[in-house]
Amino acid sequence: MRLLRINGTFPKLRKLICRRYAQAIQAEENEYTETPVYPPILDMSLQARKLRERETIHKKIENINTVEEKQIALNMPRYYGWQCVILHDDKVPYNALPLVQHYTRTSFKNIDKLPDIYTQSSSVADSVVQEIKPYIEECIAIENEGVEHNIVTSVHKPEQQQIENAKTRNIVKQINRIISNNLTDKVSHILSSQVDYDPRHEAFWFIGGVDVPNNVVNWRKKFKWLKDRAHEPLDRPVQYLGSPLLTIRNQLPLKPVIPYSEAENPEFKVPVYSCVPETVGYYSNYRHGTNIPGFWPGDFDEFGMLSYHGRGHLLDRSESYGAEDNLEALHCQAIKASFGWLLAQANYKGFTTYNDLTYPLVTQTVITNGHLMSFYVYQLNTITMHSDKVDNNPKYNICFGTKPLALYDSIENGKVKGLNEDVLKMLVQFYLNAPEERDHEMAPFLGKEEQIIADIEDDNRRCWLESTYKHIVSNRPKHLLPPELYLWEKIYKIKFNTRFFEAKRKPFEFDINPFNRRLDDHLPPYIPKVLRPYPRSKKKFETTYYPKV
Amino acid sequence: MKLSQVLHRQHIGFMFKKHWMVQGKRVPIDTGVEDSLKQKGIPFEDALEFIKEKQEPKERIKIVGPYEHPLPQDENHPDFKERPCYTLKKSNVLLEGISQAQVLTKTIIAEDVLPQRIEELAELPAPKAIHRGVKQAILNANVFDCEQKKLPKKKDPLRPAYNFSRILGISDKRRNLNLTNKLLQLVEKSNDAEVTQNKYVLNDVESLSVFDKEDDLIQFQEMSNILVTSNKPLKHDLNESNIPFIEIPDLYPVKHTVTLPPEHFYAESSKYPVRSSIIKKHPHTTWLHFNSTEVNNIYETPVTPTQILGRSLTHAFTVATAYAKQLYGEDVKDLPDPIHLNCIQTDGQRFHFGVLELNTLNLDGTEGTKNVWYCKNDLKLYDSCRYLSAIPVLENYNPKVYGYINAFYNC
Repeated sequence: MRLLRINGTFPKLRKLICRRYAQAIQAEENEYTETPVYPPILDMSLQARKLRERETIHKKIENINTVEEKQIALNMPRYYGWQCVILHDDKVPYNALPLVQHYTRTSFKNIDKLPDIYTQSSSVADSVVQEIKPYIEECIAIENEGVEHNIVTSVHKPEQQQIENAKTRNIVKQINRIISNNLTDKVSHILSSQVDYDPRHEAFWFIGGVDVPNNVVNWRKKFKWLKDRAHEPLDRPVQYLGSPLLTIRNQLPLKPVIPYSEAENPEFKVPVYSCVPETVGYYSNYRHGTNIPGFWPGDFDEFGMLSYHGRGHLLDRSESYGAEDNLEALHCQAIKASFGWLLAQANYKGFTTYNDLTYPLVTQTVITNGHLMSFYVYQLNTITMHSDKVDNNPKYNICFGTKPLALYDSIENGKVKGLNEDVLKMLVQFYLNAPEERDHEMAPFLGKEEQIIADIEDDNRRCWLESTYKHIVSNRPKHLLPPELYLWEKIYKIKFNTRFFEAKRKPFEFDINPFNRRLDDHLPPYIPKVLRPYPRSKKKFETTYYPKV
Repeated sequence: MKLSQVLHRQHIGFMFKKHWMVQGKRVPIDTGVEDSLKQKGIPFEDALEFIKEKQEPKERIKIVGPYEHPLPQDENHPDFKERPCYTLKKSNVLLEGISQAQVLTKTIIAEDVLPQRIEELAELPAPKAIHRGVKQAILNANVFDCEQKKLPKKKDPLRPAYNFSRILGISDKRRNLNLTNKLLQLVEKSNDAEVTQNKYVLNDVESLSVFDKEDDLIQFQEMSNILVTSNKPLKHDLNESNIPFIEIPDLYPVKHTVTLPPEHFYAESSKYPVRSSIIKKHPHTTWLHFNSTEVNNIYETPVTPTQILGRSLTHAFTVATAYAKQLYGEDVKDLPDPIHLNCIQTDGQRFHFGVLELNTLNLDGTEGTKNVWYCKNDLKLYDSCRYLSAIPVLENYNPKVYGYINAFYNC
């Protein structure tokens, strides 16, 4: 007993002693300067204070060392995930182009031939086209009539869409094989690039400038201090989900199509689309934001070169939409797919939706069904478009795109008639566009030593972060179901308070929003007594290593 | 939502439901009409007399549903065939493995022997850039691919009822697809365009081979995960002297059709996936994946290594016979010219290489002309490739395997 008591009082004693010494060792700084130095004058209005709060969080995310921790940090404010507007690559509602352009901050340019930087590869492409032409003709004929593939369809998507995409996938594989085998000897970057089939592409960002939804306005009106701020702008989380048929990626990035300074050109300005996304036909869902460009952090081939997408979804659009809207749907698909892939790549270089790119990224996109091909070149200049930046960010992204062009006229008796060499040339020029080393720093917001969590030295921290990161991006359901408001409760308890005599148990009865919960707001795993380190450990719970934002 | 008594009190719909039930069980009250009618001598009849006649059962109306219901798969089905066909599918294995495959396909085996030219080509060193690419392909297939699907359940044999949390990761199907396609792409890129232009690469094509063996009808349904075809038939220079062949074994007491389930619905002719009018139709190399989640014994025992080796032989035999029957007709017996076919089977780590020489389709007995299977089994591409305490590692990469793959493509 006595020993215990001494132990208990000892820390207090030590503190007393320390304080006494601390007074004695006061640093003798010169408190006076020649001219008076005042602290900066800060705007102390509520809006300005909130803005500064947000900016410190953005700064904290910028200062995090590794890619994966930044991704966890983006998800820190929501335990049950963000209520994201989901943009699928193959779901385009009617008249979606204005919304997609605003959400991706992309200006779209219709072109008939490829931008100027492709002119230098023109002569090489001509000779290559002449070499590969018979083989392309042959492979199209074989894939259409010469081979029996059995196509397995699932019930999750319309059948004809799946069949068309499966056929397209086979043709695209053949075309890619022929072109890259031919070019390996001529250009060096083909051998070193990797080809992926059906990779997983996901991207997450915040968009500002969208009207505040009615339910949020109603909620805010309940509180008297929020009444004047009922229409204060709100960030909408956006999640892109897509899966191209085939992608090619390389260690080095492609050259910019237009100089980076041109990104601020006012002619690229995109009008704001302020209606809520439900008006167009995009819906939202709770999920953790994920940024995945088809591989986990640590792979060397980090920059996309070319991606092929199917256009089977056009078959399941209503006929009444018309040809013009179908064309716009292709543009939408290309913009979403290119932006989504590039944004995910940018995230792997340490930029996030809060920390803007410092250099442009470029990708090339082909949308095809094996017969019609449309070509898109996309330059990503900016990725910050949350509500603080949506109005004062001068930069815009640029997408150049062609109409769907027919690769050939028809197939008769197992022979391809009228192969369009110009279309094939454009495709070859996409392959010939060589990636180049840049002379600036590629990852300014990542650590010098630690860039991914595999570089972290502390074993426990590394393993914990790895498993947590994979768990978050898998978006698997929580062990306990998320809180739910039953319909009868809404009618008999919220709309009409007919059951006032019952005990209050649910969160809404205490004015608690259960979704307003941070990711680290949970009890860490318990360490059973037998597993605690010998001889005595008071540590009951395992350590967590959530990034501090 | 759980229905509770509290809710019954509140919910008017539930109240009505109960009301109907109570009212439905009413006992008729005696109104005294019967007695007064009797007194006055007025005749009356029991109302129940009129509803005594039982209604005849109505004919069932045929309702046109959203789709036509398929006919039941029994002997009344128009496609039902009396004679059963013993079927080997891509998800099944032979009980006795390679020995049963030998009997079924009438094949002798040259173990650990490949044609001389392949061995020579396999010795050629590949440039460093290629090996770097192979390592990247292995890492990409095993570690860096972003698929997160539920992997098979983990079980501890000591406490079989214990539930481990399900692990998400790359499924074996996707891993094998990535690895083999990337390896083949590297082989093609490292070769001259003149070589690759004469070949054609197909993914996931099915071959079907139907044949008779000692009064049994047998069919093999196989899928080539990659089928490399070429513009002229593959020919190997095979020097058959002084090779110790493994002769066809006697399986007694097991019959050679054991674990081949008999089916009564089948196609009667073989099918080769590439039409005969195509120039590049000749099969060159067929790649077969062993996906442990998809391939099983029909009984619950785990698949053994010899059964995996047996898969290679039956697979190569299926593709070769389907091609031979397209070339020479359905009833061909001894082939005028032997057909050669390369086969590579992999589970993502081990590679089994084989070359089949198809001489005959007369599979009765063990005498006469036989087919020959040259094989080199169990070459490991690497020891392990995974996240080792959150760091991606590739241990003991074996460059020899790439040499063989390249040799198979080039011979």
